[in-house]
Amino acid sequence: MYSREVEKVLNGKKIAIGDKVRLEKGKEVLEGILMPRPDSGDQSILVIKLDNGYNIGVDFNSVSSVERMGTTAQEFTFPKAKLQRNKALNTVKLLYTGGTIGSKVDYATGGVYMLTKPEELLYDVPELAGIANLDVEYLMSVASEDMTYTEWQLIARKAAEAFASGVSGVMITHGTDTMHFTSAALSFMLQGLPGPVVLVGAQRSPDRGSSDAFMNLICAAHIAASSGIAEVGTCMHASSSDDYCAFIRGTKVRKLHTSARDAFKPVNNAPLAKVSVDGSMHHLGTFNKADPKKKVVLKDGYEPKVALLYMYPNSDPSLIGHYISKGYKGLIIGATGLGHMPISTSHKEYNWLNGVKDAVAAGMVVGITSQCLFGRVSGTVYRYGRMLTEAGAIYCEDMMPEVAYVKLGWLLGNYSKKEAEKLLAVDMVGEITRRTEAEWHDEQ
Amino acid sequence: MNSDKMAHDYKKLGFMCGLEIHQRLATKEKLFCSCSASLSEDRKTLSIMRRQRAVAGELGQIDRSTAFESRKGRHFTYNLFKSSSCLVDSDEEPPHALNQEALEAAIIISESLNARIPDEIEVMRKGVVDGSDPGAFQRTMLIGFNGYIELSGKKVPVPSIFLEEESSGIVSSNPDSVEYNLDRFAIPLIEIDTDPVIESPSHAKEVAMRIGLLLRLTGMAQRGIGSIRQDVNVSIKSGARVEIKGFQDLDIMDTIIENEVTRQVSLVKARDTLRSRGAKAGKATDVTHLFKSTTAKILSAQLADGGVVIGIRLHGFKGVVGMEIAPGMRLGTEISDYAKMAGVRGIIHSDEDMNTYGITEKELLQLSKALELGDEDAFVLVAEKSDKAERAAQLAIERADKAVEGVPSETRAVDQKRLCTRFMRPVPGGSRMYPETDVLPVLAGHLVKKAQSKKVDIDAARKALHEQIGNTQLAEQMLWSRELPLYRAVISETKASPAVAASVLLEKFRELSRAGVRIERIPPDTIIEIFSLYSKGRITKAGIGEILSEEPKDGAAVEIIIEEKKLQRISGKKLQELISSFDKTDKPSLMREIMLKHKYNVEGDELSRLIK
Repeated sequence: MYSREVEKVLNGKKIAIGDKVRLEKGKEVLEGILMPRPDSGDQSILVIKLDNGYNIGVDFNSVSSVERMGTTAQEFTFPKAKLQRNKALNTVKLLYTGGTIGSKVDYATGGVYMLTKPEELLYDVPELAGIANLDVEYLMSVASEDMTYTEWQLIARKAAEAFASGVSGVMITHGTDTMHFTSAALSFMLQGLPGPVVLVGAQRSPDRGSSDAFMNLICAAHIAASSGIAEVGTCMHASSSDDYCAFIRGTKVRKLHTSARDAFKPVNNAPLAKVSVDGSMHHLGTFNKADPKKKVVLKDGYEPKVALLYMYPNSDPSLIGHYISKGYKGLIIGATGLGHMPISTSHKEYNWLNGVKDAVAAGMVVGITSQCLFGRVSGTVYRYGRMLTEAGAIYCEDMMPEVAYVKLGWLLGNYSKKEAEKLLAVDMVGEITRRTEAEWHDEQ
Repeated sequence: MNSDKMAHDYKKLGFMCGLEIHQRLATKEKLFCSCSASLSEDRKTLSIMRRQRAVAGELGQIDRSTAFESRKGRHFTYNLFKSSSCLVDSDEEPPHALNQEALEAAIIISESLNARIPDEIEVMRKGVVDGSDPGAFQRTMLIGFNGYIELSGKKVPVPSIFLEEESSGIVSSNPDSVEYNLDRFAIPLIEIDTDPVIESPSHAKEVAMRIGLLLRLTGMAQRGIGSIRQDVNVSIKSGARVEIKGFQDLDIMDTIIENEVTRQVSLVKARDTLRSRGAKAGKATDVTHLFKSTTAKILSAQLADGGVVIGIRLHGFKGVVGMEIAPGMRLGTEISDYAKMAGVRGIIHSDEDMNTYGITEKELLQLSKALELGDEDAFVLVAEKSDKAERAAQLAIERADKAVEGVPSETRAVDQKRLCTRFMRPVPGGSRMYPETDVLPVLAGHLVKKAQSKKVDIDAARKALHEQIGNTQLAEQMLWSRELPLYRAVISETKASPAVAASVLLEKFRELSRAGVRIERIPPDTIIEIFSLYSKGRITKAGIGEILSEEPKDGAAVEIIIEEKKLQRISGKKLQELISSFDKTDKPSLMREIMLKHKYNVEGDELSRLIK
């Protein structure tokens, strides 16, 4: 956005973004295309794209004249990707929800925009046509940080519909930030799956030749089409290299890096499979086997009045009062270590035991997980744990805080409070492992 | 500038030539991260493998050269290093803020080239898919425009000066993969472009030298092999723009440009011949069956390995394929260089002697029949695995057809051995630039003000050196020497006299290099340390050379060398005692005797003063 003063002059001269302009600045004459001003920085700097392709910023106040020279509209329309059906291939539904994998830099303006036509993505990855018959459906263009349970429900319903129509698997392109929340939600909402539901994203947008989107999509398509696995999971780079992806169970995956390609790692479990670009797969651990005869059991209820709280030194339990006053029905605590909270600090007001008691008394289901992420919580090792258990808090085994959070919302949306309490720490869809294998870490 | 014997009348040919000079900056850190930019020895920590592909470009089309590289289906290996590469380099982390030291240097250089600086500098992404950039684009920005450099009273316009990321260093390359080191990647690099107003090959060399000198004088130029590279754009009126990459040795620049002009002139001649014959490349024909029992090793080896032989008729090409177009280069070489992009080792063409390959008359006759060759026709054979051979054949046909059009617009590489250029890839199109959205633009005003006092003036620098060093010849040598920054550091950080510093850094360095000493392995700080010891009287001037010859890594190593080689200077009272210990009395023989025994410990002038 340019400043009001600049806009006024530009409007007066009928100059629009993308027009070719001529500027006079002292003895200098500059010609180029007027570019939009990014949201940050000095709003009176005109950004001009010169003939050599470079942008420069010209201080509007130092310019003696601005003239419009013409337009340079050069909008690119992607050729329609022909999606040919190959009888020898399985059919895969691709649900498009947005995110980096569905966004591109607008080469003209530098702004990032969401692709609204999934075929724009397929244009860059023609290999997909040789892996599966893709049935692409645009659901939404939502950045993953903007996803809510409403979007989870819509995606779950669409996936269930797709399986009902006989597809072998479902692919969901998704932003990466909260992909592990969505994968957990779908794991609970979609039970009795006949085939895989594969969430796939990208840490680098597909406008760059180095994007991880291409390999992730190819590997995800292989998983969706022919892995024989019937689980919800994410399919992303397993390492920094473009050699293979890991398909990780939706309740056992977490984004563990802000920007790297291999940000998604399995926690407390091995990945379900490794898959290469050429389609070769290495299955690891146990999983539900695909069976086209199975029918999806859709349980898409969700109770959004559940909160996730992070424990830290000096944290104030009076926060719980806020949730009680707002009518919250559930609370998951990302506690420290084995599942501990401040109870006997030098500041009496920091005693979380009372907070937990208040929450339970107000009818909330309270679950305890660990911010360590790796490992299992225990309510019996230390005295504080026993006190919290006695107060009514439920220790959530080796579930990550986010997974327990999603699970509790889902439980309260589909079951009675009593059932929810009973089921929170019981494995339902692979979110809790009864055994933590020692060597899984090496399998990554 | 017209002292050379010109091989061509460049004016008449419509010779156009411009330079792109790339100079690495001697900054502490890289352009967009805090990795070391010094390129000192570093430990490799990790290798990663990546693939890249062409994506729909800025103007909607996949850029021509981008698509070309992508077609090659290569994968890339990147080596990361402990202190000189990080996640920003491997495209795993967004860029950090722009390196201010590099920006300031770029602005000083732009100001020294009389350029205008934009009010605000905008970082761009320039698509690169040869793999040399792990992110598939180079970050680059325009720092200066409308500048010029003066040479013999004439202005050579410098329309643009860029600050950008250095590409990765190539380790090895084969048709399927390329290996790069990321230690060099993203070191700040300055690119200086001139207008195509250069009049002759020797003029090109002079302009390049002048710009190189200016860069060194800023004190911001990195030293060492590959730290400065020149690309040259050359064309003649009836030819085409050819971008020659990777000049490192200015001594051969003029010869290579001359030979490139010869090549273009020859290709135009070839074009005229081909056109008069209505020449055209035919299609690829599988002729494997003709060579089933061939004794030609080059073919039989491929066939034994499951390969095929593909023949192409080149209608009207007879004699033209084998025509020499530049020293040691034929049109056949060009066709072969295209075909090699598909991963074949080379081609066979009919203007070669078939006996050397062991292809028989009978086989030739059958081939001629199969390809329906006429009297003026030539042929090309490719032997490889079927997919490679087919791709190679298509590329060979592409190049042959281009010969009928004349000179193709290409990016070419310097061939140091033959002093000519070799095909690298087609010239990149202009449609691959878009804004780097991860980095904020930078207002330049305050830096431009700051740069004024640091602007470089070649004539003033020359005058200052002459005054310091005294010896005109040595001063002029120092002005042009890559050791100038080191010289400046030595005289500002130690009390060594400029004359001694210049003599060691120029004469002694040369002498030692010739004797096989790898001077470049001695860190500049160590060299400064040695001069410091000298100026404090711990060692003699002769001792400096002795220490340098051992290639010491650091100050501690220097001390050890002084100890082991007994290089401590003897002076003052101790020198008096030494003189007294000799029984000679006549001055010349006493001097001779002492210097013979203690040439590294005694300064001759002090000795001469003390012997009365």
